[in-house]
Amino acid sequence: MEVITRDRPAFANVQVKMQPGDRIVAEADAMASMSTSIVMKTRWNGGFFGALLRRIFGGETLFVNEFQATAESELVITQPFPGDIECLDLNGTSMFLQPGAYLASEPGVKMGVSWAGFASWIGGEGLFRLKVSGTGKVWFGAYGGIFVKEIDGPFVVDTGHLVAYEPTVGMKVGMAGGIFSSFFSKEGLVSRVTGPGRIYLQSRSIDGLAQWTNRHLWR
Amino acid sequence: MQYEILAKPASSVVKVQLNAGDHLTCEVGAMVAMSTRMTVETTTQKKGSSGGGIMKGLKRLFAGESLFINHFTAREDGQYIILGPTMMGDVIHHRLDNATLIVQGGSWLASDPDITIDASWQGLGKAFFSGEGAFWVKCSGTGDMFMNSFGAIYAVEVDGDYIVDTGHIVAFEDTLNFKVQKAGASWMSSILGGEGLVCRFEGKGIVYCQSHNPSSFGSALGPSLKPRQS
Repeated sequence: MEVITRDRPAFANVQVKMQPGDRIVAEADAMASMSTSIVMKTRWNGGFFGALLRRIFGGETLFVNEFQATAESELVITQPFPGDIECLDLNGTSMFLQPGAYLASEPGVKMGVSWAGFASWIGGEGLFRLKVSGTGKVWFGAYGGIFVKEIDGPFVVDTGHLVAYEPTVGMKVGMAGGIFSSFFSKEGLVSRVTGPGRIYLQSRSIDGLAQWTNRHLWR
Repeated sequence: MQYEILAKPASSVVKVQLNAGDHLTCEVGAMVAMSTRMTVETTTQKKGSSGGGIMKGLKRLFAGESLFINHFTAREDGQYIILGPTMMGDVIHHRLDNATLIVQGGSWLASDPDITIDASWQGLGKAFFSGEGAFWVKCSGTGDMFMNSFGAIYAVEVDGDYIVDTGHIVAFEDTLNFKVQKAGASWMSSILGGEGLVCRFEGKGIVYCQSHNPSSFGSALGPSLKPRQS
């Protein structure tokens, strides 16, 4: 299986060149186009209860699609919003993904939901988070560009900009400055993440786009 | 035709060079900038033809394009025009050589005046199930043409058959036929898997696809938008 992430960073989409027997799992509605030699099967996103948990708390779809090639084939996978797509290579390791970031994975990757805590919720990142673990590649996307940063100590991230982080990274909610400046600087609440570990940030947030659009609607 | 596509692929525009007497037929509202020695003429029909124009205009209206089209003519040498679509996305060039390209409503940007632009009836069934319009823009003849998309555009050379999700088609050569079918092996799987219906192309020819689906973007953003205040 050969995978190319193309048209980065504005309109990233994933082209998968598959050999007979190759399999890949993708989020519902992620397929843009494919060869007719690919068989698409829909299944629960990791068992009935797991899927239900991920739907309600992980912001993911109830079902995922598994694509299996029966001959040499091509599959194109995309995300709903314009932005970049990153690939992770898991090797018995795991990573937390924010709701909606998951796009596709190799069959050896497991998906689960884990408690993210109230700090994450207040920080606008959700009460639960998606945990990907196992062996294989995972693709996740963002609205905007994606930056990766190794942190070794505390670091501040604005709400809605954290896309993924390693399990070694801790999270607390804090104010951007004092009470006065936090309120009037419009930075408000921020996430204080603590390393060591890798974090992935997105350069825009979909909530930011919605707020901006709302201000210009129906004047 | 001498042209250059700028700001690819996020906010593409096309810059077309025109010499004295050269024409270009464009979607209304597509002009971003142009040099001054140009004449603009707005009609409902192909430049130079007479009669029956209003019907073609109305058909184009159904195809998701405008009732009117603009014809730009250079009065002197060394003129140019810059054209761009409304949404962010890509612009591509396609060369027709006594052939026909069926373009999804809204994706046609500009073409050589020798190319006939007409609405093509794709059938109510296909329109209803494919999520696209019942009329598509049919471009036939010989010359250069430009199309725009939401997202990047990729070309697939079909020889046999190929599946494109509804909402991702930009254009296809009329040597291809398409039918609407379920995405998965069963109806249950197609609906639950969120793919629903897809378009299956058959034959030999090019299909242009867009990397992003406007409806999916709308569904992702829509719930966060406020309703209209009446």
